Amino acid sequence: MIAPTKQANEVRPGDALPTTERRFSAVDLVMYGAATWDWHRLHYDAVFAEEMKLPGPIIDGQMYGALFAKQAMDWLGAKAFVRKLDFRMRAMAFAGDALAAEGEVVETRAEDGHAVVVLAQRLRNGEQLIAEATTEVRLPA
Amino acid sequence: MSDATTLLSDELKSWIGREVSYPAREELGRASIRYFAMALQDDNPLYRDDAHAQAAGYPSVVAPPTFVVETCQYADGPPNHHGYIGHNWDLPIEGCRMIRAGNAYEFMRPVLPSDRVSVTWTLEDIVERPSSRGGTQLFVTSVARHYDDGGELLAVNRETLVYQPLGDGK
Repeated sequence: MIAPTKQANEVRPGDALPTTERRFSAVDLVMYGAATWDWHRLHYDAVFAEEMKLPGPIIDGQMYGALFAKQAMDWLGAKAFVRKLDFRMRAMAFAGDALAAEGEVVETRAEDGHAVVVLAQRLRNGEQLIAEATTEVRLPA
Repeated sequence: MSDATTLLSDELKSWIGREVSYPAREELGRASIRYFAMALQDDNPLYRDDAHAQAAGYPSVVAPPTFVVETCQYADGPPNHHGYIGHNWDLPIEGCRMIRAGNAYEFMRPVLPSDRVSVTWTLEDIVERPSSRGGTQLFVTSVARHYDDGGELLAVNRETLVYQPLGDGK
């Protein structure tokens, strides 16, 4: 079970989201590809990846959006609604890499009778920044 | 020999503004939603347990936030030579690899398994910029607008892809 939805007054700028880490196996890459109806060779075909001058099958950058959204929902709760999610790639990551998701609240504001929480989120592979996001989540009034 | 080739040809520029629509094929369905959640190792009951979702105020289970903009479930054709079945402009760009620069998602309401989603892709812009690897690379920005059965906008995905010359780079 996930935690109850946070109230606006429980969230403050500077609050850190729990950092979670996950290693992505070839199976994980295939599962994400299949579940999104995306069978692009880049994400499982090592020979094709080599032809593209990559060191191995690449983690689909699109999945980073899902990971950022999951981190936000896990922290803010079932009634939270991800309104905007803007993420940028900073480096490639490959099958076998472990990515840590971290983030914090950068702003809270009221908008149309809702509280809006703005998060800054990052995915790291060790010291290397892989992707970063700005995420706006609406909490119930 | 210096490489003075401009990647952004007049022909390529003529692609800017093009639009392609994909009709809804069927309801998204609970199976697609649970499959996506499993792939993310996300055991949130909002995505698999109607009773739990209803207790949180939703009519049924909902899709994880980014599901609607990440799935190629709208597709209905064979894969291309890269194995991809989703929308692809098939831009006339040779000798490059394509990587993702970033996505900006906007969501209007939670997406339900009963939603029938149609998608319209627009090629918004193509620009050529210097590459840190030397030479230049192309940034292609497309916008996918996802609509429900009633024509209401569900989500917008502004996606920027980069085409990098393979050259002798790593």
